[in-house]
Amino acid sequence: MYLDMHSHSVSSDDSRATVEQYLKWIQVLRKRGNTVDGIVLTEHRKFDAHLDYSSLAEQYNVLVLKGSELDTRFGHFLVYGVTEPLTKELDFADVRMDARELMKAASHHGAFALPAHPGRFGIGLVDYMEQGESFPDVGIVELLNGGSRQGENERASDLCSQHGYLGTGGSDAHLTSHIGTCLTNFEATIVTEQDLVEALHSGQFKPVWLQDTQKGAST
Amino acid sequence: MVMELEYDRSLYGKEHLAGPFDVTTELIQAFTASLSETNPVFIDEAAALAAGYKGLLAPPTFCTVFVSRVKLPDINLDFGKMQVHAGQRVQPRGDIVAGDQVTASSHLKDVYPKTGRSGTMVFVVWETTFRNQHGEVVADVQESFAVKE
Repeated sequence: MYLDMHSHSVSSDDSRATVEQYLKWIQVLRKRGNTVDGIVLTEHRKFDAHLDYSSLAEQYNVLVLKGSELDTRFGHFLVYGVTEPLTKELDFADVRMDARELMKAASHHGAFALPAHPGRFGIGLVDYMEQGESFPDVGIVELLNGGSRQGENERASDLCSQHGYLGTGGSDAHLTSHIGTCLTNFEATIVTEQDLVEALHSGQFKPVWLQDTQKGAST
Repeated sequence: MVMELEYDRSLYGKEHLAGPFDVTTELIQAFTASLSETNPVFIDEAAALAAGYKGLLAPPTFCTVFVSRVKLPDINLDFGKMQVHAGQRVQPRGDIVAGDQVTASSHLKDVYPKTGRSGTMVFVVWETTFRNQHGEVVADVQESFAVKE
């Protein structure tokens, strides 16, 4: 199934898209022959435990999961399967947190943290690794990011090749029509955030562009 | 290593008042022209009255005209050297018509850091509520400033 693993709604300070606008746009994408089964809302520096999108998800037949995108000293990290204990252990608004501690804490609490847009110039994991930092717990990175500039996804791809990392895909949408531009194709059927964490651990997935979800596309 | 921001937190909860500001026909028409708006209710008083408004209607974002006249206090943020305007959000709450007088009440809403391609920035967010001469809320305007390293 195809999930957009990185998106921001109006709950983030820099997005103007509502969740319903995303779900409506996905209907447009489907009419154009694309397959988009779900999205993960990864709001900046927060986790919206109190927000329930289940009615909208049912209305539009789109899986809507919740995660976070956290700022760290070593770039942005996507966190999936966020649990209440994790939100209590870490200050999600802390932009100077150590990404290595985040990854360990996420793992400890049954969640999964991975670097977002690692090829992004100035703030991606590649830059920090070139400065001599090491991240032994990284095994998966966001390989395709819909907000990347020229060369940034290529840097992420090179990073995966050099270190044997697996890659995910996400649009990083902040605007309605950007949703679904990049996705992750999972072998497993995912219904909950915990399913998503298990699917990441399984390694049975790959990043794709939207056009790769067209029927007959070779992915 | 939490990033602790130093600024005047005593500003939270304090309201800073400005105005009253006169809403004139000329000001509404000039603002409407700047938007290239052609709806007659924003241009012609007779059209506005015929449409059921109490006078010449101001466009929904009209209060942004007065935001620049609101003097906000320095929060004494100990970070960065350059501040840039980072955006406005306007939530219209009621009609504003020519002849109204509006007052502004502003408070510090949030101060938070974020990181991006251009490094670490601190966002300072102010929220201003505009009321008319009857005390009715007519608009909320949220204004953000980004302070760069």
